[in-house]
Amino acid sequence: MESATQVSCLECVGRPGRLFCDLPAEALQEFDVLKSVNQYPRATVLFREGQPAQNVFVLCNGRVRLSVCSESGRRLTLRIAGPGEVLGLSASLSGSPHEMTAELLANAQVALVKRRDLLRFLHEHREACLQVVSLLSQDLHFAYDRVRSVGLGRSRRSRVLRPH
Amino acid sequence: MLSPYGLDIIESCLTCKLRTERLFCDLSAAALQTFESIKYATAYPKGAVLFVEGQAPRGIFVLCKGRVKLSICATDGKTLIVKITEPGEVLGLSATVSGKPYELTAETIDPSQVNFVKRDDFLRFLKEHSDACFKVAEQLSEKYNTACHEVRSLGLSHSAGEKLAKLLLDWGSKNGEAAKVEPHLKLALTHEEIAQMIGTSRETVTRLFADLKKRQIVQTKGSTLVIRNKTALKLIASNN
Repeated sequence: MESATQVSCLECVGRPGRLFCDLPAEALQEFDVLKSVNQYPRATVLFREGQPAQNVFVLCNGRVRLSVCSESGRRLTLRIAGPGEVLGLSASLSGSPHEMTAELLANAQVALVKRRDLLRFLHEHREACLQVVSLLSQDLHFAYDRVRSVGLGRSRRSRVLRPH
Repeated sequence: MLSPYGLDIIESCLTCKLRTERLFCDLSAAALQTFESIKYATAYPKGAVLFVEGQAPRGIFVLCKGRVKLSICATDGKTLIVKITEPGEVLGLSATVSGKPYELTAETIDPSQVNFVKRDDFLRFLKEHSDACFKVAEQLSEKYNTACHEVRSLGLSHSAGEKLAKLLLDWGSKNGEAAKVEPHLKLALTHEEIAQMIGTSRETVTRLFADLKKRQIVQTKGSTLVIRNKTALKLIASNN
């Protein structure tokens, strides 16, 4: 059963605890105008590895599997993203194709922002840009931890994900 | 001017001629002035350790000249090289921003010039200069992409031969060599270091190179490696 769509970020009760979403009033107002909200069913692929980055996705609820794939089709999960996470950020900022595939593990509400709109928004709102820097730093820590667990067979954190 | 370790030190970012070519350094005039006042220009010999994995973050290091090896180490001493960084890259960024310990160890592999900025100064600098903040976001994005690429290569390659072929193709696609039928690449790393990049032993790398040469897929001329048969190397990289 799908939950009702929460369209406005201004009324979102989950917002205060979320790193990206907890924006200052002015930035939030503008973000609210830029984004479009959609409900997606489980197993929807938000973006695929190798695709050019056209949008950034903010996960309002639900979970997303981020994975990489070999030419032969073997898949390796990088991590599971949860509510409040921004997906497709690194590819959008660097202008390179998506480095991973994002697939919904459950029905979810996702806010979508066009890449060019996000870039302009970040240029205009310093606080949002700082939040993005913090988010990317966090993502990078997870990625290095994954490099460590895959390359050296150990993880700093208890969260160990295996190829499937 | 004194030139420690044979380096021609660039004292001021304001007069640096290389600045415009570099992603982070090409800042607005106001941001550049501030950066100039908070950075410490330092020269290091080859083999100097800038920061160690697990250490509390002191600040960021902008690599002006030379190259730096970024590695992760296991408790048994096994080392994995994540990346060889080139001038213009900012090191220690994610730890400095998040306040978490450095995730990697950074060691110079050439005599290097590094501009160091203390953590508090850098965080204040980012809050005051949105253009610098955006550049940092871009740098972090590139680092994240590289890390994901590394996970893919380590986790999804079946053999050391496949990983070595991917690494050579990756190097061969840089510095304008990509379009060439026979890309030339400068082998600036030892077999030991290449082994640490693909998570295998030095002996395996030496054996794999001998095999590639025997099959005339690659050829070495001094420290230059020529990819003679890109198609065959691609086949090995795709595990066929």
